[in-house]
Amino acid sequence: MSLTKPSLAQTVLKQFWFKLKSLAGMISSLIMLQLIGLLFALGASSNFYTGSDGVFDLQISYYSADLVVVFTMLWGFISAITMKTKAYREDDFVFVTNRLSSNLSNIAYLLAASVIGGVTAILSGYLLKVVIYLLFESTPIIHTGLTDSLVELLSGMLAASLFIFMFAGAGYLVGTLVQLHKAFTYITPVAVIGFILLSDRISDGHLLAEVGEFYFNEASLWLLSVKTLVTAGLLLAGSIGISQRLEVKT
Amino acid sequence: MNVIKCTDLTKSYGQQKALDNLSVTIEENKITGLVGRNGAGKTTLLKILAGFWRVSSGEVNVFSRKPFDNLFVSANTMFVDDQMNFPTALTLKEILEQAGRFYDNWDMELAERLFDYFSFRPGQNYSVLSKGKKSTFNMIVGLCSRCRLTIFDEPTTGMDTAVRKDFYRALLKDYLAHPRSIIISSHHVDEVEEVLEDVLLVESGQKFLHMPIEDLKEYAIALNGPSEDVNKWRRDREVLHTKTAGNNTYAVVTNDFEQHELEQINLAGIDMSSVSPGDLCVYLTDRAKGGIDDVFDKA
Amino acid sequence: MIHTDGTKPIYIQISEWIENEILNENFKPDEKVHSQYKLADLFNINPATAAKGLTLLSDETILYNKRGLGKFVAHDAKDIITNKRKSQTLKRLIQEIVVEAERLHVEEGELIELVRKTINEHRGAAE
Repeated sequence: MSLTKPSLAQTVLKQFWFKLKSLAGMISSLIMLQLIGLLFALGASSNFYTGSDGVFDLQISYYSADLVVVFTMLWGFISAITMKTKAYREDDFVFVTNRLSSNLSNIAYLLAASVIGGVTAILSGYLLKVVIYLLFESTPIIHTGLTDSLVELLSGMLAASLFIFMFAGAGYLVGTLVQLHKAFTYITPVAVIGFILLSDRISDGHLLAEVGEFYFNEASLWLLSVKTLVTAGLLLAGSIGISQRLEVKT
Repeated sequence: MNVIKCTDLTKSYGQQKALDNLSVTIEENKITGLVGRNGAGKTTLLKILAGFWRVSSGEVNVFSRKPFDNLFVSANTMFVDDQMNFPTALTLKEILEQAGRFYDNWDMELAERLFDYFSFRPGQNYSVLSKGKKSTFNMIVGLCSRCRLTIFDEPTTGMDTAVRKDFYRALLKDYLAHPRSIIISSHHVDEVEEVLEDVLLVESGQKFLHMPIEDLKEYAIALNGPSEDVNKWRRDREVLHTKTAGNNTYAVVTNDFEQHELEQINLAGIDMSSVSPGDLCVYLTDRAKGGIDDVFDKA
Repeated sequence: MIHTDGTKPIYIQISEWIENEILNENFKPDEKVHSQYKLADLFNINPATAAKGLTLLSDETILYNKRGLGKFVAHDAKDIITNKRKSQTLKRLIQEIVVEAERLHVEEGELIELVRKTINEHRGAAE
């Protein structure tokens, strides 16, 4: 028997496939969440205009699958935290790994999951239209927003995936902080809510609005990619930095 | 060649020292029994060797590398304990397949034969297994990975006697076919002693003794007979354990008797018997504290 | 077979087992005896323990080494074993007699006379 000489890349790849199998539960929870999102989207259509001139009744309802994207972002955030909980975290360490390969394969998994989440979230917009069509029969549907051109469709998917990945990065950092010290379970939500309240107090909510604007109102897909990826990169690099300070396994 | 070399290894948590200046060298391709009382530092040592925990001070080398967070050490080391975290989403069969992807020397054929022998079902989930079954499954993964360093931390937890016997037999047979360095920690020394080559006894985070098991078996001798006679022989010797009932004394002393002395003891009507390594380890580590009787005798 | 809980160390039991096999001619002169691995498998013991038993027999020239091939039974192995067992058993019995005689204050001359008498009686009975 000779000694095995593993490479980091090989190990990360093995762990990535291992996670695709072992974390199958996350994908099924994604589907569940998106279906719930769709239900909400159906119920929570905003009425644009309702009017009647005595001859015609006109009702314009605006249905949007944006909610599904929001739900998916939330899913990315929570899934990333879950990956860092003891039960999942230590799955890695029954087989060959070190902290770096574990983190890298987690990130690779989150990236893949974000793309799956982004693509399905956008596609669910079409599903929504089909459902509405079936429910309200002859109601004409005017497509707006995400539609038609393949480029638009793809850029929609890319943007959604990037946002989800960014949120996953934030979740990953939170999960790592909790691993560093349990107190972060309480500190993190308090800090976030504190920040929101504070921004409301000192800048009348402008600060929060600007942060939202910075990310979500970016017209250029290219700039959006840079912004989200750099943010996610910083969050994840921070997580790796923190976990390098910890023991490998309990 | 040495597979493990620890020099002044210390692991502390605040004021508490789990390992205290422990220095030990373990040669390649030996089966070593790690023995010690609860809290002696066995698991701490093993987790440091497996690369899970960092050292506070001192040095540790596994395959001539620092094991902590080391991918090379991880790929060549198997650590089996009763806290194995297998993904709940995988079936037992899938876990074996995954293990096979990670370990280059994995023997799937053996894994499947052991799997069948111990009546596991491929579709079963690890989390529903009983404690003993879990340990048995862990053992299969531990053996079949054929890692150059295989560590079993209390591997037989929950196993029944028959399975324990099968386990040690399987371990020995696979070791004979594929020699490698194996460390087994166990509370039940008497159960493993046959397959061991060396014993490492730790107490309070320190190395107490490290010697071939055959030497350990001759390390001490038990004298049993009339107190007066027994006391005569034990006088100048280190008494590891003693128990008196009426006029009869049972004393365990270090075995530095000459052959003619042993014959005289025998003729004096004193019963001589060997001391099992398990009992001996208890006596050795008990000396500092005194036995449980001392707790009650104080009153 | 092998008693793991006995007073006798396992490696000595292994060497005695091989000796018995030689006496029973299951291992004949110049035949290869079991390797340490075969013995380990046979008796479920660590091969190092088995090796210690084999080394003991080599030291007593009951076995000889062929480099790379293993250990073989010496020509006079049977004699060595028989002589060894004789001397060991006899020596132990005589020691017991001497110690017991001391305890009973039997003089040296008296003891030798007793032995001689026993020998003569035995001869008489045999004839």
